Amino acid sequence: MSEKKSKKVTIDMNINGEKVETDILAADLLLDVIRNNLGLTGAKPGCLNGDCGACTVIINQKPMKSCLTLAIEVGDKEITTIEGLLHSPVQKAFVDEFAFQCGYCTPGFILNSHALLMNDPNPNKEKITEWLSSNICRCTGYKEIENAIQAVMTKTHNKNDSD
Amino acid sequence: MAKKIRPDGKEKVTGRLKYLTDLAFSNMLYGKILRSPYPHARILSISTDKARQLPGVQAVITHKDVPGLNGFGIVTPDQPVLCKDIVRYVGDAVAAVAADSVETATRALELIHVQYAPLPVLDSPEKALEEGAPLLHPNGNVLHRAGFQKGDIESEFAKCAAIVEETYHVPRQLHAYMETEGGVIVPEKDGSLTVYVGTQHGFKDRFQLARILGMPEEHIRVVSSPMGGSFGGKDELNIQPYGALLALSTGKPVKIHQTRQESIRSSIKRHPMKITMKTGIDQDGRLRAHQTTIVADTGAYATLGPAILDFAVEHTSGPYMIPAVDTKGISVFTNNGVSGEFRGFGGNQVTFALEGQIDRLAAAIGMDSVEMRRLNIRREHDLGPLGQQIAETNGALDVLQSAAAVYAEKKPSSQNQDRWKRTGTGMAITMHGGGLGFGRMDPAGGRLSLKEDGKIEISFGFEEAGQGILAVIETITTEQLGCAKEDISIMIGDTSLVPSSGSTTASRGTSMVWHSLQRLKKPFLQKLLTRAARKTGTKEGQLSIGPGGIWENGECRLSFRELASEQAPIVISTQFDFPVSPDPIDSAHFLYTYSGVVAQVEVDLLTGRINVTELHQSLSAGPVVNEMGYLGQIEGGGVMALGYTLMEDVIMADGHYVTENLDSYLIPGIKDVPFNLQVKAVESLPAEDDYGPRGVGEIGTIAVAPAIANAIYDAVGLRVSQLPVKPETVLKSTEERGVLHGSQSSNSGGN
Repeated sequence: MSEKKSKKVTIDMNINGEKVETDILAADLLLDVIRNNLGLTGAKPGCLNGDCGACTVIINQKPMKSCLTLAIEVGDKEITTIEGLLHSPVQKAFVDEFAFQCGYCTPGFILNSHALLMNDPNPNKEKITEWLSSNICRCTGYKEIENAIQAVMTKTHNKNDSD
Repeated sequence: MAKKIRPDGKEKVTGRLKYLTDLAFSNMLYGKILRSPYPHARILSISTDKARQLPGVQAVITHKDVPGLNGFGIVTPDQPVLCKDIVRYVGDAVAAVAADSVETATRALELIHVQYAPLPVLDSPEKALEEGAPLLHPNGNVLHRAGFQKGDIESEFAKCAAIVEETYHVPRQLHAYMETEGGVIVPEKDGSLTVYVGTQHGFKDRFQLARILGMPEEHIRVVSSPMGGSFGGKDELNIQPYGALLALSTGKPVKIHQTRQESIRSSIKRHPMKITMKTGIDQDGRLRAHQTTIVADTGAYATLGPAILDFAVEHTSGPYMIPAVDTKGISVFTNNGVSGEFRGFGGNQVTFALEGQIDRLAAAIGMDSVEMRRLNIRREHDLGPLGQQIAETNGALDVLQSAAAVYAEKKPSSQNQDRWKRTGTGMAITMHGGGLGFGRMDPAGGRLSLKEDGKIEISFGFEEAGQGILAVIETITTEQLGCAKEDISIMIGDTSLVPSSGSTTASRGTSMVWHSLQRLKKPFLQKLLTRAARKTGTKEGQLSIGPGGIWENGECRLSFRELASEQAPIVISTQFDFPVSPDPIDSAHFLYTYSGVVAQVEVDLLTGRINVTELHQSLSAGPVVNEMGYLGQIEGGGVMALGYTLMEDVIMADGHYVTENLDSYLIPGIKDVPFNLQVKAVESLPAEDDYGPRGVGEIGTIAVAPAIANAIYDAVGLRVSQLPVKPETVLKSTEERGVLHGSQSSNSGGN
């Protein structure tokens, strides 16, 4: 094998509402680029295999595992990481409902839940568990995570009712 | 009581919290560790020349580069940091590299040439105990023997109406903390070293690193918190020595963050055990004799293997009073990875066996299993399981009664409308010791300070792994001092800033925080009030501490900031030991928690799949400090134990891991958890008890497996003796007994 240096390319990214330029290798994972190049460490490496969901980000409104996505693929798509999620009711609900313990899986769960509620503001229980089954948490019993989503839904309903 | 939110919540939900594996420093290098491809081999040669020549590589280290002791291990340092002539498991480290990038470091590992001569692999305790088996350590293949005897076992067996003998097998469980081992080690300008790596005992890591590096402990600072989970798994050293050696050799910060594959290969696991129990009961339902042998596969190195076996031996008879007990345990070295510390610490394994025995015995004499437990259960003034005096509570009976009520309610609903499914209900109870036990150094301590800025700083040498110690510290401190949470700042997990508090293990954190505050509160408040009296010219007796500062007649007279200004900080420290039994019985515990668990399962007769539909846990662990934190520990522990019961086993073949990542090691996801998950705390303690809240980090994991196993028996008549319970086992058993065709069931609707 030759030890020749791979060439870096410059890409434009649209992340958390900002345009950024960064130098990557064609094989770089989106996860590594957002963590190492951009310093956005809310997305976590848990398995680098798509099994745990700790690296979940939102790409064009869809939750995606950034360990299964190449940075070069994302082009001008809109990426939201936990750092770009400002004042999502899901975040507050996770705090209020104790839907986290160690917190390592939490950004992934929050982004997945946020994307779910963007996609369907009123999911039934089956749909909630279906969406959340792509993420794993080793600390909680998941009940509080589900409670957090339910709490957001209840609040939204109450708000709509009073509007 | 209002729900108290956790102090670390905001940082965690915004992604702002920096875990130690998130840190980056300028000029930082990346480290990788070369581990043995063989479970057992002689090293003939190690050549690192090619790796050193690879551009971007800044250091390659081997055993020659360890300046101090080339070994680690919390009690016995028998694990080489870098192996010299022998490797004993596939995680043994042979070399390590620091390079400009992870890719270069990975490539460099491929260029290190190690010649091995494979040796016979001891992949089971049986093989390791065979005569003529190669010796894995100078003292042979037995790490530790432990035992306990009381009464005359043979004459008690002779009085029994029924004797049940069964051998139970329990698996190798992976902690599966979401954050794998890692962090950054930074060489400082003054020659000292800062180690930013998560662990459960920063001061112990510092001690071990000092020994390896040949450096004074004072020159090493260990920042050990926060962590993305640990569950016992990060108690022993993991990547710290390699990062430290590489940082010292390059003079640059070195980051190591293991991939999940690297983590599974090198990390400790829960001990697989083979437990044989022979237990006898008389015709009145009284347990008379209980004989147990425990064979633990401890893997290649000691870590806390001896203590885990001791713990298993102590908990073999659980919360029952049995006149004759004969327990023998052996912990055996093999080439199967390394077994070690894991939430429950040997209690999970023996409780699964014991509670399986109890249900079998009740059936054998035709007695209700709840009634039989009640007849044999320990009472408030009974001695502990090793004959030691323990902190007296009625916890065992309390949780039994609480669980029995749930059981009575749930049991009749064990009917199923679906002809292909069977529902069953089971229960189990347990007791679990906290702290390290008699004869083991188990110091604790804490410090309260009124800082110059007016903050009351409370500090402990504990780590936050997710269990909620920060919330516990905040709650106990504000309640005991009477101040508001905004008045305090919490400092943990940094050896340069906090006092030693002992390890963040053994369900001891909550307990030790409470005990510390009992000791700190009075002298600290006294000093605050004395100063306040001087500053305000008021009599001390008229002043009290309240939210924001010093209060008089229902008004805040002086803020903490005013109290602190222009004067030296007020500092009060305490050092003490975890309470132990007055009876000098080695390893015996003193503070116990108790749990009673009821599980309901639904078994699919066509697929053999077991679905846990309800899990009710009743606990006795003293007063609840933080309601949601307590719930979280018990629910989360219960779900982790559900995984242990039905899903989890790190498969090894010939000393190699077959399981490599979370795609072949499945842990419970949201679809696997019970629809109905309930926790009930029985908080009452005897009036004279002055030991306060007990820790609940482990108790939620202990009695879940046998409760589920007993529910499976109730559903389909399968006596479970091996975990995890596989669908194949269920199908084989139901097929053999014709359950599917209605011969064993009352609700199949004929067929």
